[in-house]
Amino acid sequence: MKAVQRMKPHRPSGSAGGNVRSVMYSTSPLLASKTPPWRSKFLVGLVGLGFCVLVGRAVFVQIIDNDFFLKQGEARYARTLDLAASRGRITDRNGQILASSVPSQSLWVIPKEFEATKKQRQQLARLLGMTPVELNGRLDDSPNFVWLRRQVEDTVAKDALALGIKGLFQMREFRRRYPEGEAAAHVVGFTNVEEHGQEGIELAYQKELQGRNGTRRVVKDRLGRVVEDIGESVQPVDGQDIELTIDSKVQFYAYQRVRDAVALHKAKAGSVVVLDAQSGEVLALANYPSYAPGDRRNLSGAQLRNRALTDTFEPGSTMKPFTAALAIDTGRVTPDTLISTAPGRITITGSTISDSHAHGDLTVAQIIQKSSNVGTVKMAMQMQPREMWEMFTSIGLGQRPQINFPGAVTGRLRPYKTWRPIEQATMSYGYGLSASLFQLARAYTTFAHNGEIIPVTMVRNKDVPAGTPVTGVRVMTAKTANSVLEMLHSVTQAGGTAPLAQVMGYSTGGKTGTAYKQEGKGYADKKYRSWFVGVAPVSNPRIVVAVMVDEPGDGKYFGGDVAAPVFSEVVQQTLRSMGVPPDLEVKQQIQSQKLPAEEESF
Amino acid sequence: MTRINLVLLLALVASSVYLVRVSYESRRLFAELDRAHSEARQLDIEHERLKSEKQSQATPLRVERVARDKLAMRSATPAVTQYVTYSVAASAVGAKP
Repeated sequence: MKAVQRMKPHRPSGSAGGNVRSVMYSTSPLLASKTPPWRSKFLVGLVGLGFCVLVGRAVFVQIIDNDFFLKQGEARYARTLDLAASRGRITDRNGQILASSVPSQSLWVIPKEFEATKKQRQQLARLLGMTPVELNGRLDDSPNFVWLRRQVEDTVAKDALALGIKGLFQMREFRRRYPEGEAAAHVVGFTNVEEHGQEGIELAYQKELQGRNGTRRVVKDRLGRVVEDIGESVQPVDGQDIELTIDSKVQFYAYQRVRDAVALHKAKAGSVVVLDAQSGEVLALANYPSYAPGDRRNLSGAQLRNRALTDTFEPGSTMKPFTAALAIDTGRVTPDTLISTAPGRITITGSTISDSHAHGDLTVAQIIQKSSNVGTVKMAMQMQPREMWEMFTSIGLGQRPQINFPGAVTGRLRPYKTWRPIEQATMSYGYGLSASLFQLARAYTTFAHNGEIIPVTMVRNKDVPAGTPVTGVRVMTAKTANSVLEMLHSVTQAGGTAPLAQVMGYSTGGKTGTAYKQEGKGYADKKYRSWFVGVAPVSNPRIVVAVMVDEPGDGKYFGGDVAAPVFSEVVQQTLRSMGVPPDLEVKQQIQSQKLPAEEESF
Repeated sequence: MTRINLVLLLALVASSVYLVRVSYESRRLFAELDRAHSEARQLDIEHERLKSEKQSQATPLRVERVARDKLAMRSATPAVTQYVTYSVAASAVGAKP
């Protein structure tokens, strides 16, 4: 400014154009040249144009194409909150929780911000149950985000945060909790850390249990408080609760009994299936060895296996009642027909089938009671392979059980056209075909339900009350079924193979099974499988119980010695908790003399 | 004319102040409501947790052990059970009035 003030007019202005005054800026002769009039107009024009561009741009940005900046603005105050839906519960038939989701804390770290003294690190490692080396190794995984430990107890998370370590954070997650623990582990199954079902009902009903997360758009203020809802929010839909037909008391008791039996007989494994004979509901399905679904470290395949559904074996003697039923149903024999089983051997196309000891003449009822192979084969050889195949198919052999449960197997039943005579003979007493314990239990509902095989269910249908009787598919006449039931009853009485299956106060009926285990192509020596499938009470059947013990190792291996006692205890407890009145007069005395068991043939 | 404008100006200022106050209040209340909602949810979850905790304290395993070991109880067998039919009792109750 000073320079301008000091400037003095040097020459008169406006000498050229007259009406446009030229301004003298300096005394410099270079600048003294006259400005042409278009130049200032041009400048004004340029400035005007500049304004127009600015205004145009402003209009464009703010009115026409405002999406981008609106979005950017919104991103700075609006937040989308996830509304977590909780996974449904799994309950038993009485509403007892078998699995539910509970909150737990997960600790995570931003390793590049992580600052802790050596002592703090040690304390943290101890809290999380790791060694300091492990902890450091974990922190090296990624500079940005590392899960330190997921789903720890609230108290542990609190203690860890109380150490005041920088860069350590917690996040709330949900964890599955299984109050019944290992007793119901195989039925309920478990989820992974993301709450996806991995096994059992958790897997089978993943979709129903899962629910749908919701979202919500909100405006948050500087302090992080929600001050306004914007847009539409999507409400979370919680997962459905699944109600099983399992009765947790029966389930627990069955598990406990089979566990004790496995320990007592030094066996490898065992399973129990309890079915309601009127409604087809599965009351219990227990396997041992089992696992705690909440803590799945160091699990072995043997623990995870749901043997009752996934293991097949040759049903052996438990098939004999069906052969007898078919013979009675087709009018070939009556329960009192005498069949000669002497001399305890029979030869069919060069192969010999024998009984454990010779019996002489037996009625059909006695053949079942004493589990005679020869008698059964003699009945079976009068029949067509097709008839037998149809009977076996109609009781569910060779078919996957109609139950929504992962891993249920079909078993094996070859088409009758490929049967050779010796195979027909062995199949009549349960060899050369295979089934799971669950299939066997279901097959026995035929005898308990007046000759109808009933569909089994594991998940309660909430529209019908619990225990509603169902109608099944007729396999044999009611008369035949009842007469076979009588035979099954005689098995548990003096002279039968399983007097240990008797229950105080209730009449029981069932069939023992014992078999060499199949190994590779042949049968393993001294490795057995024992089982017992039965019905109680015989007068008005309410439950079907199937028990299987795998490789009993203490010298006892007959189904009547190993599996029948488990059956007896499970029946006793189940009928009592169902409130079924006893159908036998109870003798108020202690039986000091054990009834000798008939040795069965297998 | 000036007086009317002045009155209108005052009214405008008053209404603006009121608007500010109301919107502040509404946000405050909304934040409070939101907090209450999340607390309710929290309590729900806690309730669920306690329920399952309660049940794991009452599993058949534990109940049986306590009943047998601490209380010296035995499970009832049909030998020591008196069964009554309640159809008679029900009709007796029905006959009372």
